[in-house]
Amino acid sequence: MAPLGRAALLLAFGLVFYALVAGSYAAWKRRRRLALSAQNALIAAFPVTLVAAIILLVALGRRDMSFVYVWQHTSHKLPLGYALSAFWGGQEGSLLLWLLVLTGYAALAVWLNRRSRDLVAWTVPVFGLVAVFFAFMLCFVSSPFGLQPTRADGNGMVPSLQNPYMLAHPPLLYLGYVGLTVPFAFAMGALLSGRTDERWIVATRRWTLAAWTFLGVGQLIGAHWAYVEIGWGGYYAWDPVENAALMPWLAATAFLHSVMIQEKRGMLKVWNMVLVALAFNLSLFGTFLTRSGVINSIHSFSKSSIGGWFLAFLGLMIFFSIALIRWRLPLLRTKTKLESLVSREATFLYNNLLLVALALTILWGVLYPILSDAVRGETRSVSKPYYDFFLHTFGLPLLLLMGLGPLVAWRRASLRSLGKTFVIPFTVAVATGVALLALGFGSSWPGLLTYTFSAFVAASIVLEFVRGRAAAGGIFRLIARNRRRYGGYIVHAAIVLLAIGIAGSSAYQTQREQVLKPGQSIEAAGYILTYTGLNGVKGSNYTGFRALLAVSGHGERFRLNPGMNNYAIEGPSNEASIYHDPRSLGDVFTTAQLAGKHTNMIDVKVFVKPLVNLIWVAGFVFVAGALIAMWPDAVEQRRLAARYAAGAAPAGI
Amino acid sequence: MGASPARLVIALSVAGALAIFVVYTALAGNGVANLTPSTVAGHTGHVSLVGKVAGKPQGNAYHGGGLRFQLKDIDHGTPARVPVVYHGAVPDQFKTGADLVVEGALLNGVFVAKRGSMITKCPDHYAAAKPKT
Repeated sequence: MAPLGRAALLLAFGLVFYALVAGSYAAWKRRRRLALSAQNALIAAFPVTLVAAIILLVALGRRDMSFVYVWQHTSHKLPLGYALSAFWGGQEGSLLLWLLVLTGYAALAVWLNRRSRDLVAWTVPVFGLVAVFFAFMLCFVSSPFGLQPTRADGNGMVPSLQNPYMLAHPPLLYLGYVGLTVPFAFAMGALLSGRTDERWIVATRRWTLAAWTFLGVGQLIGAHWAYVEIGWGGYYAWDPVENAALMPWLAATAFLHSVMIQEKRGMLKVWNMVLVALAFNLSLFGTFLTRSGVINSIHSFSKSSIGGWFLAFLGLMIFFSIALIRWRLPLLRTKTKLESLVSREATFLYNNLLLVALALTILWGVLYPILSDAVRGETRSVSKPYYDFFLHTFGLPLLLLMGLGPLVAWRRASLRSLGKTFVIPFTVAVATGVALLALGFGSSWPGLLTYTFSAFVAASIVLEFVRGRAAAGGIFRLIARNRRRYGGYIVHAAIVLLAIGIAGSSAYQTQREQVLKPGQSIEAAGYILTYTGLNGVKGSNYTGFRALLAVSGHGERFRLNPGMNNYAIEGPSNEASIYHDPRSLGDVFTTAQLAGKHTNMIDVKVFVKPLVNLIWVAGFVFVAGALIAMWPDAVEQRRLAARYAAGAAPAGI
Repeated sequence: MGASPARLVIALSVAGALAIFVVYTALAGNGVANLTPSTVAGHTGHVSLVGKVAGKPQGNAYHGGGLRFQLKDIDHGTPARVPVVYHGAVPDQFKTGADLVVEGALLNGVFVAKRGSMITKCPDHYAAAKPKT
């Protein structure tokens, strides 16, 4: 099977290389048949890569220990689902997944837009260029089809990866990372062809939205995984690996907003090109970061030889993007100017600047160890306080703008109309702020501002729905008529829930730690946790203990049983015990470790995290809003077809 | 107002962001040094120490003299070893050979870790499992 896998990868490499070279020549010389041939080669690369992927999946499913990759990442006792998830459990499989998703996306995007020949002509070689890199890596640098004499059993999978989240979190992130290649390829294709109107944006809007949604949901699932599995009471650590996914998501968020300005007013053409290139290059940078091991992380990157390849490719793509944008600057200049600093487009511009500033300060934090090492000869790093400071500095105004932007008129808004528009949200926000102060929430000013601004945004969203419903004659009719706009509002509502959940669970969190003997208690935020004894537990491949904690407080009584499992091969693992409090929408989160051998004393950690469950609820609302916003709209398609009557309207997904 | 308010907004925003950045850096310092057992000697301030647990850990993280162990460099074969004393919760993956990060300060040749600051490196999907030999 392995030779067939290698052959499939070589064929895929040949196809995408042909798409790059023949596609470039055809687009340059305007050879229609050759362009079609290059396009077909790119589309054919997907099923060929799929063959390679299926071979690897079969080998993983069969636990074929003659494959080095299978031996490294699975064992015979590993359940089938986790064995298959080892596809993205290691470097070679991850690269194959990248190529598979990339060729799949490219095939679909090119096929859907096949009638817009001039739009696709240069897009095919750009897709080809990115795919050539990944196919080259898989064929010649890091193959998943390496063989060895068959071993009795494999190395297995680390316990914390044997989790249902492992089946969803990595592939969703990849769907997001790789998805950002689609708008990038179309944007660069538009620059190369000189067709810099809005068609590339229309063709890729839903692709960008889909990639952005995958990236957002992937991160939230990863955060929930860390929360329930690792046992540290947190869900985001500002670690370079986490930041690697957050940065392109922020850049893509900015892009999704600024394209609306280009569509409506024909402005920000250069800026949109910069943003789409930034989002794509940040996703490549994230891969370089995780692959190279150049930055110290709590995630155990293995130092790998492919980091240098990635750095070279990243450098090439940055140069390629900048050079193209610079070359086509005259075509990207627009006559339309920003008419007023108080207008819808101005608030979108502020939003963009804040999002990019946040992404770049995170990038600076990630790069700081490398830069300090280069400049001062000493590796230094920034940590949570740095990121928290900039999250507050740029994030809070962003939250406020979410409420302001959608209600401000296009072109120019008068102060009088603003007063009229915002009187209700402003009153709600002030009343919320005062009430929270009276209730004692003034202990954290970022928390207080987050809640006040969230009330403002929530009120403005509700107001928009109420006004719109009256005009449309029903809430569903309203959403159906303008899915993009109201889907966007629902996503904004998700961000409000997220902000409230993050502020509640961090700014107002209570944390206690104490060593307890049986009969002793620990108090945290009004809950009394009494340690009553230990129970032993036994599973098929582990033994462990559970501490029995009787909890009372806030009119409730419940039990928690944190403890540890000691896996026979893989070692110990924390088993957190969490009580979801429906009253506060928060959690009482506990972990317990034995405070020494031959003793029943335990070290108990308690986190009381108000409103933390809103973060996970926000995920569902986010997906609902994103799905509404990207749902195909026949009216919109007809409008676009009319606008681009000279050629066929580009097709979104 | 000039011909292009957008440019003014961008220029002012960039200047504002840089100003915030400079003020933050001036007030909050410039990060914590990340050191390894071979580079920590001579540093007396609060630092972050990254290394691999060498030898058998002794003692108890919750009582008395605390958990005592040695760290060596993860990547290089240097002979440097730093004795560490630690109190507080011990992460799952702590054992001989584990890669970890602790914060603290060097005191008379012993790295006194800040309570509860130990983080073991989290295995994730980016890392290839180390082959058993």
